[in-house]
Amino acid sequence: MRPTMDTQQATTSDPRLPALEFQNVAKSFGAVNVIRGVDLQVREGEFVVFVGPSGCGKSTLLRMISGLEDVTSGTVSIGERVVNDVPPARRGVAMVFQSYALYPHLTVAQNMGFGLKVRKMPAREIESRVADASATLKLDALLDRFPRELSGGQRQRVAIGRAIVGNPRIFLFDEPLSNLDAELRVHMRAEIAQLHERLGNTMIYVTHDQIEAMTLADRIVVLRDGQIEQVGSPQELYLRPDNLFVAQFIGSPRMNVFDIDKLPPGVAAQLGVPEGAVKVGMRPEDLSIDPGGRGMPAVLRMSEYTGGNSLIHLELDGGAPCLIVHHGQTSPPEGTAVHLTLDKGAVHFFDANDTSIRKG
Amino acid sequence: MNPTETAAAQMVHKGPSHKRIRLITRVCWTSALLVVAVPFVFPFLWMVSSSLKSAAEIFGAPSLIPDRFLWSNFVEVFNYQPFARHYFNSIYISLSVTGLTLIIASLAGYALARMRFAGAGLIMLFLVSGLMVPEEVTIIPNFFLVRWLGLMDTHAPLILLPTFGSHGVMATFLMRQYFVALPKELEEAGTMDGLSRLGVWWKIALPMSRPALGAVAIITFLFSWNLFLEPLVFLSSLEKFTLPLSLANFTDAYGMPLWHLQLAATTLAVVPVLTIYVLAQRQIIESFALSGVKG
Ligand SMILES: Nc1ncnc2c1ncn2[C@@H]1O[C@H](COP(=O)(O)OP(=O)(O)O)[C@@H](O)[C@H]1O
Ligand SMILES: [Mg+2]
Repeated sequence: MRPTMDTQQATTSDPRLPALEFQNVAKSFGAVNVIRGVDLQVREGEFVVFVGPSGCGKSTLLRMISGLEDVTSGTVSIGERVVNDVPPARRGVAMVFQSYALYPHLTVAQNMGFGLKVRKMPAREIESRVADASATLKLDALLDRFPRELSGGQRQRVAIGRAIVGNPRIFLFDEPLSNLDAELRVHMRAEIAQLHERLGNTMIYVTHDQIEAMTLADRIVVLRDGQIEQVGSPQELYLRPDNLFVAQFIGSPRMNVFDIDKLPPGVAAQLGVPEGAVKVGMRPEDLSIDPGGRGMPAVLRMSEYTGGNSLIHLELDGGAPCLIVHHGQTSPPEGTAVHLTLDKGAVHFFDANDTSIRKG
Repeated sequence: MNPTETAAAQMVHKGPSHKRIRLITRVCWTSALLVVAVPFVFPFLWMVSSSLKSAAEIFGAPSLIPDRFLWSNFVEVFNYQPFARHYFNSIYISLSVTGLTLIIASLAGYALARMRFAGAGLIMLFLVSGLMVPEEVTIIPNFFLVRWLGLMDTHAPLILLPTFGSHGVMATFLMRQYFVALPKELEEAGTMDGLSRLGVWWKIALPMSRPALGAVAIITFLFSWNLFLEPLVFLSSLEKFTLPLSLANFTDAYGMPLWHLQLAATTLAVVPVLTIYVLAQRQIIESFALSGVKG
């Protein structure tokens, strides 16, 4: 008997079909609507990241792909197949859990081979696949250990290895790095990116960390309250956010947003405010202190030195707080009156509904 | 002396005195625990020692060491009544009850912990309220039930009643509580790996529940092993007796206990309990080591 996952791999015939498609998918737990009408297509081989604040429904969406959660309405398709009623193990997906979910009573090798064994794959084939995966993930020396004998990063690798051996069509990651320390997180992030490059499978990755999203994704899906706010490449989201939420969620430190009628006098005219605009957004890294004394007048309140640059907290004339990223080793002392100019980047305008207004 | 030297001198002094205090504390604790242990250990020693004495010596000589070691007591136990048969009855009944209870309690406990079905809460409430009813109340209806089923003077009620009665409910409840606390993601990983519901129970939930299974095994075996009222009510033929009845049966013509035989038989009756205890306890300790206290 051939394992189900591989059968599905073999039927990946038409590259024009999306690897994954949501059509008007909704999910409610009792009376609570957690996912409220999601439409999305994911191309074969794409690395898509679901990002959004905690509780917005990222995990629920992912679990509906895996089949661990059923959909309340709408359809989920993988390849040409609607999978609403297909059990998890027959969907051709593999999941890496946040807690890794390694079986504590099994060794690393047994953990990785478990799914294949359940699918009744011959022992020799299992062994060779586990060997391949462990070579890829540098786990060779650890195959006979138990999960409790591994470090966090190693456990993470085993969890990924367990997903790899089944050769799934789609990999699902649910905040896989959130239990690691900062340094290891950066390292594993790079490893996951390399893994995607090498394997070329479709990957869906959930995180609440926008840096992780920006660095890994081909496309980012920004979610809020069970709805998609915007889908696009990291650059699209950064440069052309559809609305205030996305504008503030993507980019770190977050975008400054001012009410236009509270800006210092004269500034609005300089910016060329389009009709209907109520708010204006400027990214901290796009603003700088102008030694020539032009631009928005502001007072320096606090400066945080971070090494390569400083985060400078200011107060615009009129009282609005503003943050800028200041390059260089020195910054003016607190209380200094300065002027801010917009260097290069865009000014973002938002209407009364917080929707972006595109100029021109 | 400057302040640094004083401090250094104090440190030198502090070292040994600190150690001595620790030693004294340890000695105090150990002796206190030994004293507390006496009421638990003494009856056991008394039983073993008396099993080797003559009937007259048991209450005559206060020494724990018998004058003469009467190993013949242990032979006479088997001659006095079909003790080997009783022993076998108890072992197979208790093992059956333990095995059945482990299977049923872990299955039912898992269902109650993880499956959402209509009336789950009600079933739980019903089961737990059954725990409140004392055995003395249920023995009479059970007597009629057993008689109606034609199971009088058989071992069937001794296996069925503990398994499906309040002890089985308690075992189910214990297992449920343990399963509820297991990480759900592990079972979901099992589902993703292709296991059925039953497969998840068998291959993931059960191996991770070895401490609970061990504990349930111990208390169930003990419960069944010590059961007295039920065999007394349901059994009448001598060769069907279980150990507790058998022990009570070492009496002379006037119904007075034959202490030396009774205590020799009791000593023998303790052996399987100790064996089960050691085996199950090792399961518990091993699996704690396996799961690792550290996350
Ligand atoms: N099994 C469940 N029962 C009830 N509510 C749930 C369940 N799972 C998730 N939720 C709710 O759905 C919302 C989205 O959860 P989740 O998808 O886990 O968010 P995220 O992963 O984005 O943090 C949350 O408000 C959460 O409380
Ligand atoms: Mg989540």
